[in-house]
Parts: sequence; structure tokens; C-alpha cells
Amino acid sequence: MSGAAADPPEPAGPPSIPASLDAGDAALPPPAAHRVRVSAPAGSMLNIPRRLEPDAADAFYVRSLIRSQLRLSMSVALGFLLLLVGLAVIGSTWPQIHEIRLATIPLPWWLLGVAVYPMILLSAFLFNRAAARNEAKYRSIVE
Amino acid sequence: MNTTVSMVAVALVSIVTVVIAVNGLRLSRTTGDFYVASRTVRPWWNASAIGGEYLSAASFLGIAGLIVVSGQDGLWFPIGYTAGYLMLLLFVAAPLRRSRAYTLPDFAQIRFGSRGLRRLTSFLVIVICWLYIVPQLHGAALTLGISTGLPGWMGAVLVMGIVCMTVLAGGMRSITFVQAFQFWLKLAALAIPAVFLLLHLDMQGQSATLGGAIFDDEAQTTTAKGLYYNISLLVALLFGTMGLPHVLVRFYTNPDGPSARKTTAIVLCLLSIFYLFPTVLGILGRAYTPELATSGNADATVLLLPGRIVGGTVGDALTAIIIGGAFAAFLSTSSGLVVSLAGAISQDLFQGTVRGFRIATVIATVVPLLLALGTSTFALAGAIGSVFAFTASTICPLLLLGIWWRGLTVVGAVAGLLTGAVSCGIALFVSAVIPSATGSLHDLVSQPAAWTVPLAFLVMIGVSLATADRVPARVDAVLARLHVPEQSPDSKP
Repeated sequence: MSGAAADPPEPAGPPSIPASLDAGDAALPPPAAHRVRVSAPAGSMLNIPRRLEPDAADAFYVRSLIRSQLRLSMSVALGFLLLLVGLAVIGSTWPQIHEIRLATIPLPWWLLGVAVYPMILLSAFLFNRAAARNEAKYRSIVE
Repeated sequence: MNTTVSMVAVALVSIVTVVIAVNGLRLSRTTGDFYVASRTVRPWWNASAIGGEYLSAASFLGIAGLIVVSGQDGLWFPIGYTAGYLMLLLFVAAPLRRSRAYTLPDFAQIRFGSRGLRRLTSFLVIVICWLYIVPQLHGAALTLGISTGLPGWMGAVLVMGIVCMTVLAGGMRSITFVQAFQFWLKLAALAIPAVFLLLHLDMQGQSATLGGAIFDDEAQTTTAKGLYYNISLLVALLFGTMGLPHVLVRFYTNPDGPSARKTTAIVLCLLSIFYLFPTVLGILGRAYTPELATSGNADATVLLLPGRIVGGTVGDALTAIIIGGAFAAFLSTSSGLVVSLAGAISQDLFQGTVRGFRIATVIATVVPLLLALGTSTFALAGAIGSVFAFTASTICPLLLLGIWWRGLTVVGAVAGLLTGAVSCGIALFVSAVIPSATGSLHDLVSQPAAWTVPLAFLVMIGVSLATADRVPARVDAVLARLHVPEQSPDSKP
């Protein structure tokens, strides 16, 4: 970029090079020719660009997206929490369950030590699919 | 136990960690690399790194120890540690990634545009990181002391020295590789001995559970916890995970929201597999090292089991593997914490320059080291449980309400953060001062999450409603950024 300012005697050559660069890499930041003091990615990125004209319909769609995502998260979380609380309550109110054994290990140990984890994974899998579906629905409406 | 083999294991893990970090330095060129690995990290790598970072001394040593001490109640810890990630996936993962916040203070600034709230969040992050590092160093001291007979403080100094070096050398990029490597190392270091011990017992015709007898006499060694205790612990672990600063930093290295979700789901798989092994070793510990339950050294169960069951050269080799894994646990969790701690300190004190990051790294390692050397060991899992209760009462309401509720105001957030921090802090302090009293009242202060978390939420919501006229003006733009999917639908169905 400095070439244009430093070489005034040759008006034809230098300007063409930056011009072609600008056209080609319009989306990219200009290449750094000298040492640049680097700093954390915070700074400018933390400032959200103001919307020029907040579109009412757009805002409505965003809100309904947020609401459907929250409803999804809450229902998965509540279902899973109920399951855990149920396990805790069963364990403490029904001591006879400890007499049920598989390979000498009581049933509560199997439930808490092994069976819970596939249920966590299943919840995560179902959630990811449903969340992606919500987003796809939003995209199909907006775009 | 053969101390030479143990020392070789510790030295080997340390050297490999440093070598990977230094090689990462050659790849690490720009500030983007230095801080966030330029987001070139793929979900599997990133998930391994998160697992590596997350599985601390409390998971590696603490859970087996806890199962030896409190039996079935100990199983709630790994459930909570894993399900905490489920909550993180449900409520935080994708929106946090889309917010483009690198740290929690960044999130506070993006969401509320308030310097004061940013500073308060930074302060909480620093406190949480320090509280979390100290038990890691206690674990290191315990492991080095038991396995080599060297004085324990050398373990703490060694861990912090290596962490400081690796973080200074490579920043986040090399940390990602180190952490990912250390997850698989930790998994192998528990899985190999656990499987070997089970096979060995089977060949000897012995029962791993003494024919189920270890479950009969639960009353003998078990200090059975009440229902309140278990539920409160679960609340702390479930909602504390999403507030862990070193975990949240990782989400910035995902390219977009869906990949943040994918990463979290992979983390859940990795954790589910990992936690089978401490449970197996804990059950073996109840059978073959039951005396540890009352000795106050239950965290050493995993370290002592191979020598007790197999003995001889094979026992030494298995112990060395476990010690290597344990050091990987201390190193990876501590370095993750130091990175986010140094990130928080350097952004607020040194304007986020790389040099500032390096100065902050030194500060971030020295303070917890001094704290660890000045305090005595607690039960590892319990000490970590307290940190989770603290993050669940402070950061968790800020994140959840900040992401999902447009009515949250700066005043409400500050009031909620202070309420949670003060109530939980006082409760934990009281339970530390009056340690041995048992009973429901003591549970209320030693495991406070069940009441401090709702309290913090209520205060945050109540004060926000009272100051509803001061909702940030650009809240809708911010929430849209958090939730609207990325422009290019790169994840085609």
C-alpha cells in the first residue's frame, strides 16, 4: 500500500497493483507489511454493530426462535432432572432395591454407575438434532 | 512400591508435555493462534482437549476414593460431572460460541456493555480458578509423596513449574494438543490397570466384589449422606460445570454454533467412557483396600490398588502407569485454569498483549502455589465440589439469564452475583471452620448449592424486574447474535 504514496513519478504502474489487490481480497484485512503489535481478539469484536433499521418481522422471528430453543432445552433438562431425582428418591426410600443383584452388584450401583450414562448421551443426541431442526426452520423462514 | 519406576513415570509425562508444547510454539504464529488456536481445532481434537482439561485430580483419584469412603453416594459425583456437560450443551454451548466471547468477562461485556460488571466477573473468575487449582496441587503433593517418598510440596512445585513453562511457550494452540494428548493418556492410565486387575482377579478365581460382601456391610465404612446432601451436590455439579472458566474458553475454538454443540456431545461420550473406570477401581478399593476409608487417605486408593492386588514387577508397572496419568490430570487441568486465569488477568490489567499474557501467567501460577503450600489437603472430590457450588451460585445464573432472558439488567446481575458469592462463600467458610459436626444443619453449609443457587437466581430476577426500565438498549441485537444460526449453512442435513 505504501508504494502508491512513495512513488509519485510513475503514476501508471503502482496504483494498478493495489487496485487489483483490493478487488481480489475485498473481504480480507490488508496484508501487514511491517511488524504489527498483536493483541487479544477482544477489543473491536466486543462492539456489536448497530442495526440500521430493526425489522419488526425479523425481530419477531428471532424471538420465536429463542423461545422454541428455550422450550426445547428446558424440556430435555427437566426430563433428565426428574430421572435423577427419581433415582435418588428410590434409593433412599426403598432400601430393598439393594437386595436385587446382578453379578453380585446391587441394582442401584448398576443404575447410577452405568445406566445413567447412555441416557445422558441419548438426551444430548436428541437435543442436538432438535436444536438443529429449530435453526433450519428459522433459516427457511428468513432466507 | 518401586520409587524409581514411579519417578520415571512422572519424568516421562512431564517431558512429553513440554515437548508437545514446544512443538506447538512453532505452529503458533499470530495472536489468534496464541489465544484461541485460530479456531482451526476440529471437534474431536477440541472434545479430547476439553475432556483432558476437565478430568482433574478429583476425577482421576477422588472418585475411587469417594466410593471407598461413602459407597453408593460416591457414584453421584461422576454423574454430576458428566451431566453438568449436558446442561452446558442444553443452555450454553452454541449461544456462548456465537457471542464470540473468549472469556466470561468478555461475555459480561458483550451482553451488558458494562465495565463494572465485567470487572466483577473477572474478579469471580480469578477466585474460582485459584480455588480450583489448589486441590490439583494437593493431589500432586499426595501422589508424589505416596509414590516416591519425596516431600509432597515438590509435586506442587513441579506441576506449577511445567504448567508455567508450557503456557508461556505456546499459549492456547499447544495447550489444545497437550490437553487432547492428556485425555487419552488419562483414560489409558485408568483403563489398562482396571482391566488388568479384573482379569487378574478372574484368573486367580477371586471375586472382584468379594462375592458381593462389600455391598452388604455398607454401614461399616459408609458415612451415609442424606437425601438433601445428594440433591444439593447434584445441583452444584450440574449447574457449576457451565460456570467453569477454563471450560468456557474452549468454546471459542469452535468455528460455529453447531460445531460447539457437536464438540460438547463428543465430550459427553468421552466422559461417559472415562467414568466407568474410576467406578470399577473404587469398587475394587472397597474390596481390597478397605482400611483406606478410615485412614483419611482414601484418595490414594487408585495408587495403592495394583500393589495390593498384583504386587511385584507387574504391580509396579501398573502403578507407574497410574502415576503418569495422575500427573497428566494435574498438569492438564492446572494449565487450562492458568490459561483462562492469565487471560482474565491480562485482558483487564495488561490490555491483552502477548507480553501481558506472559506476565499474567506468572502471577496466575505463583499465587495458587503459595495457597497450596500454605494449606493442608482435603478430600479431593469434596474440595472440588465446593468450587462447583460456588460457580453454580454465581456464574451460572449470570450465563443462563443472560443468554435466555432479555429482562436481565446490570443492577440485577450485580446483585445476584454478589448474593450468590457472599452466601455460598460464607456457608463454605463456616463449614470449613466447624468441620466435624454432622447432621442436617451442617449439610446446609457444607453443601450449600441447593439453597444458594435458587437464591442467586431469585435475587437476579427480582432486582432486574425492579429495575426493568434499565434493560440494556441493544439487548435484542445481542440476543439475536447469540441465537441466530450462522449465515452460511455449512452443516447441510
